[in-house]
Amino acid sequence: MSLSAINQPAAALDHYRALFASRNVPDDALGKLRRASLERFLAGGFPTQRDEAWKYTSLRRVESRRFAPADAMPIGADESQWIADAGHRLVLVNGRYMPTLSTPAPQPPGVTILTLAQWASHSPTQVADFLARHDHAAPHATPPTANGAFEHLNGAFSDDGVVIDIAPNVQFEQPIYLVHQWCMPASARSAGSHMANPRIIVRAGAHSECSIITHWVGDETAESLTNAWLTFDLGVGARVSHLNLQEEPSRSFHIETTRLQLATNAHFGKHDFALGSALGRSGTLVTLGGPGANVSLNGLFAPTGTQHLDTYVHIDHAAAHTTSQQDFRGIAAGRGRGIFNGKVVVQPGAQKIDARQSNRNLLLSNTAEIDSRPELEIYAHDVKCSHGATTGQLDPVSLFYLRSRGLGESEARALLIRAFAQSMLSTVQVGAVREWLEARVQRRFDLSAGEHS
Amino acid sequence: MLSIRNLKVTVAGKQVLNGLNLDVKAGEVHAIMGPNGSGKSTLAQVLAGRDGYEVTAGTVTYQDRDLLALAPEERAREGVFLAFQYPVEIPGVNNVYLLKAGLNAIRKHRGEAEVDAFEFLTLVREKMQLMQMNESFLNRAVNEGFSGGEKKRNEILQMAILEPTLALLDETDSGLDIDALRVVSNGVNSLRRADRAIVMVTHYQRLLDYIQPDHVHVLTGGRIVMSGDKSLALELEKRGYDWVKEDSAAA
Repeated sequence: MSLSAINQPAAALDHYRALFASRNVPDDALGKLRRASLERFLAGGFPTQRDEAWKYTSLRRVESRRFAPADAMPIGADESQWIADAGHRLVLVNGRYMPTLSTPAPQPPGVTILTLAQWASHSPTQVADFLARHDHAAPHATPPTANGAFEHLNGAFSDDGVVIDIAPNVQFEQPIYLVHQWCMPASARSAGSHMANPRIIVRAGAHSECSIITHWVGDETAESLTNAWLTFDLGVGARVSHLNLQEEPSRSFHIETTRLQLATNAHFGKHDFALGSALGRSGTLVTLGGPGANVSLNGLFAPTGTQHLDTYVHIDHAAAHTTSQQDFRGIAAGRGRGIFNGKVVVQPGAQKIDARQSNRNLLLSNTAEIDSRPELEIYAHDVKCSHGATTGQLDPVSLFYLRSRGLGESEARALLIRAFAQSMLSTVQVGAVREWLEARVQRRFDLSAGEHS
Repeated sequence: MLSIRNLKVTVAGKQVLNGLNLDVKAGEVHAIMGPNGSGKSTLAQVLAGRDGYEVTAGTVTYQDRDLLALAPEERAREGVFLAFQYPVEIPGVNNVYLLKAGLNAIRKHRGEAEVDAFEFLTLVREKMQLMQMNESFLNRAVNEGFSGGEKKRNEILQMAILEPTLALLDETDSGLDIDALRVVSNGVNSLRRADRAIVMVTHYQRLLDYIQPDHVHVLTGGRIVMSGDKSLALELEKRGYDWVKEDSAAA
């Protein structure tokens, strides 16, 4: 190994240390938290593949770049990348909240939407308390390390974000559509690699209901890192659905950490669609904290070309009588690489658990790869846990059947691929979003159906 | 319409068809009978273009064209239809979608416009009635969760809508109770026409009580060893396939 290779990680950390120093972070309560996050990031550095949670994903490409926040702001944004009529729209561009592009107030009673900065200036102690409580380095927090380095990096450099508060017993029927867009003015394109560290915080009061859509897009000129941190804090009996649609541009890196904390009888449903980016990682870390809490996660990851898409799930059954379902599908074409790592932990004394996991994968070429890794750690005896994983190619008998009815080979292949994806797409409740997704998925697989080998 | 000469086929290195000859004219119904493993289903699959069957000798001429040179979808568009012995379940693909896609592929091949939505629905309803199928089948996934009899009816429904020139029926009677057999046979009989040929592959004579063939052939050891009219089927029923085997061995 050459000397420069050994030194590279240290050089990367020096970059972020210097970057932080240049940003004049104030010495208030929030600033202290940011500084602490930086120190933790610097102490641990980027994870390596020796870390079990990153076994299949190398971060060398992320580490080798010198990302810095994008300060240049474009005047407009490409609205064609947004889903029209998806709901109450909140727009972030290059990591910054853009009020002029977002659906204006007034918000319905019981729903408060603030930027992180607004929240910090209105109630700084509340913010500091909240962040300290959700700081994963705190001793009570589980799981400790899955996306840790990126959470610290986000904590250190998070300049903006959105806080959504739903008051107890409020049902907010209109989905909240939050779109994050990379949009580089020509002058900023040569200025290096940009990063955004948005935070999205959702606090759903007892027995409240809401639906959140997050959509990650950008123009193709950007070489960027989106390092997002999302927290959902669900009170007793709250019901939240989250649809996550990752369509980042092809040169970008997308790392996302979603932390879920569910109280008694709370229900959270997530639909996760990973289609974009050069390297994407969706980490969903769930704590089922009270009896009756249920989490249902499903999704589709579909790497094509040389894309690398990693889905990591960690569900912690911390209380008795909690349930979880995971149902993920992967479709890999070209030299695409997909990963599904689903871990379920049942804590001592957490009896009467029902945890199910399913992962089915489809390989469309000889050079595509999908790694599926279910993990179960069970420390209680009265539990029902099941998992199943399959990976295969398109069924030749089905293909022949369709062709014998007159369908051309690539049409038949595309139809079977879409059929495989359809079971995930059909779970999407919001009509405008489902149609958008169906069109995207169809276009993608109609293309890759022809390039099999 | 169809002329098979000296057809030899191996499957996974094993010789299954061994110099088969068959001539089918427009308007005719042929029944090919034979014991298990005689090569009946192989013949149907090879004619439809399934992968994994290696033709080592012989020719198949269909409407003056080399059938074996065509891809499965080209054969379908030229009017060849195979009703599968084991229709395939395809979750996520709508039954009505497949019907329409198949019909449009064939129409496009003929230089015709895509089928009008209203016309299509009228056609499908009429044919479903013929097959005594509930309309709920339209919006179910292809064959998914269908009973054996429902799958076979669905095959004949597809055939009725695609209106093939050469229909190949692979063990269409297997797994059918007497009522379903009657419905399926009615469906097939309604498709008999002067410009259409039907080739049925079957193990049992029973089907031929419902669909009367013009010609009956006995396939054993990969060759057609005896041909006759429908009385041959009755004789087979009485005397069993061993009779033919002995007879052909003697000859």
